[in-house]
Amino acid sequence: MPTVLRRFFLTLLLFLLTVSPNVLASDESDNSGSPIDVMGKVLDHDYFEMFNQKIYLPRIFYVDGSVYLYANTQSALDSGEFVRSEEEGFIVRSDGTPVFIDFSITSKLVWFWIGVLLTFLITWIAAKRYKNGVGSKTEPKGTLHNLFEVLFVFVRDDIAKEYIPGEKYRKYVNYLFSVFMAISFMNLFGLLPWGVSATASLTVTATLAAITFVITQVSGTKEYWGHIFMFPGVPPLVRVILTPVEIIGMFTKPFALAIRLFANMLSGKIMIVSILGLIFIFTDMFGATLGVTSGIVWVALTALLYILKAFIALLQAYIFTLLSAVFIGLAAEEHAHEDHESSVATATEVQI
Amino acid sequence: MITFLTGGGGILSFDTGFAIWVLISMLLFLWAMGKFAVPYIVEALDDREKRIKDSLESAEKAIERAEKISQENEKALREAEVRAQKIRKEAIEEAEKLRTQRLDKAKEEASKIIDDAKKAIEQEKQRAIIELRDEVADLAVKSASIIIESELDSEKNKKIVEKYIGNLSKN
Repeated sequence: MPTVLRRFFLTLLLFLLTVSPNVLASDESDNSGSPIDVMGKVLDHDYFEMFNQKIYLPRIFYVDGSVYLYANTQSALDSGEFVRSEEEGFIVRSDGTPVFIDFSITSKLVWFWIGVLLTFLITWIAAKRYKNGVGSKTEPKGTLHNLFEVLFVFVRDDIAKEYIPGEKYRKYVNYLFSVFMAISFMNLFGLLPWGVSATASLTVTATLAAITFVITQVSGTKEYWGHIFMFPGVPPLVRVILTPVEIIGMFTKPFALAIRLFANMLSGKIMIVSILGLIFIFTDMFGATLGVTSGIVWVALTALLYILKAFIALLQAYIFTLLSAVFIGLAAEEHAHEDHESSVATATEVQI
Repeated sequence: MITFLTGGGGILSFDTGFAIWVLISMLLFLWAMGKFAVPYIVEALDDREKRIKDSLESAEKAIERAEKISQENEKALREAEVRAQKIRKEAIEEAEKLRTQRLDKAKEEASKIIDDAKKAIEQEKQRAIIELRDEVADLAVKSASIIIESELDSEKNKKIVEKYIGNLSKN
């Protein structure tokens, strides 16, 4: 049963990956003249929006070795030290020096923090309950506690224990569970009316993938490095080809991890905004009657997309966690030589 | 380069400042999870699993023991039954043997008694015959003496002898 599920998810993944770039390409056209700003919905902002109230967030700039801190964009501009550049969205110092690193708090960062904090709070409360004996001495009580345990045991048994060999998996349960929960929350926040998926930002997914990458390399065994630089049982000339391929493979794995999560989350948001936007586009083009009437179709379609996106939100969190576990497991594996072939087989299976 | 570092542009840009924030938050988050939350849960679950496993194992062992005991009991019962049957059979055999033995003995005794009786009769008979012979001889002698004593005519003698013998046979 688990292999069937895995194959199903991997097929779905393949499907989602082939679909996403098309969506991206079709929606990246300029929307400045349209009645609905699709890109504005998916880009990062300098404000946190909730119930149509905008809270402008602090701007922190690092320019030429000095740090500038402002309550929000407007105060930065008011101070006269920073001006908007000709390019849309850029802020430069008044003497024309571009901002070296922009440490500003953005809407996605706020949603990232909310996701992370929520995960920590839930886990912390659960840990307290376990410490008090509920769940450790007795059975877990209450729906939420049971739900939490289902998720935790799922990550521990079906992800960590399954793919990381031996007792080593214990070290990675913390990372895998934290990432799984945090990504799930961040993905699901994109479904809230004013919510933003932090994971619909390449920066976030790339950073998460980078953490997985570092953990993978740190937990690499002698065999793992041996396989990369001195592929055993292969003539020296073939090694000249294989070693660069293996080294590239080290980086493509987390790269794929970052792009997959990012593209899936972004495309879902763009689809929903675009389809709902059709109401306004129809109103603009054919008048209010047709716009509102056709709204029935668009809202139904959006509802369907919401269901799909809720599923994909959890699925992508699962895939990110699963692949992280697989990569760590492959690096941490101390395989005897006879099961070498099977480990390569799983690696290629996962690579699709 | 500027776009790469400061972002703000398209959706595909990588924002260094944002990435640093995310990295710091993530590291803090992972540290806090590893320090305050996850280990307790792992420990509690391990404990519970161990306890469940232990109790299952002990239950299994108890069942095994009970089964063994009941098997032993059954075996003992069967053995006892077998033994009882054997004893009964032995007793019957013994009784049979005893009976036949006694019967044989009785028969033997009876035949012995009969034999003895026969022998005694035979002996008695022999003795009687001998006695008779003696008696006859005596009588012959007596009668001869009587004959001699009477010295009478042979006719008379003959009659006397016949008469005597006739008396004898009557006796």
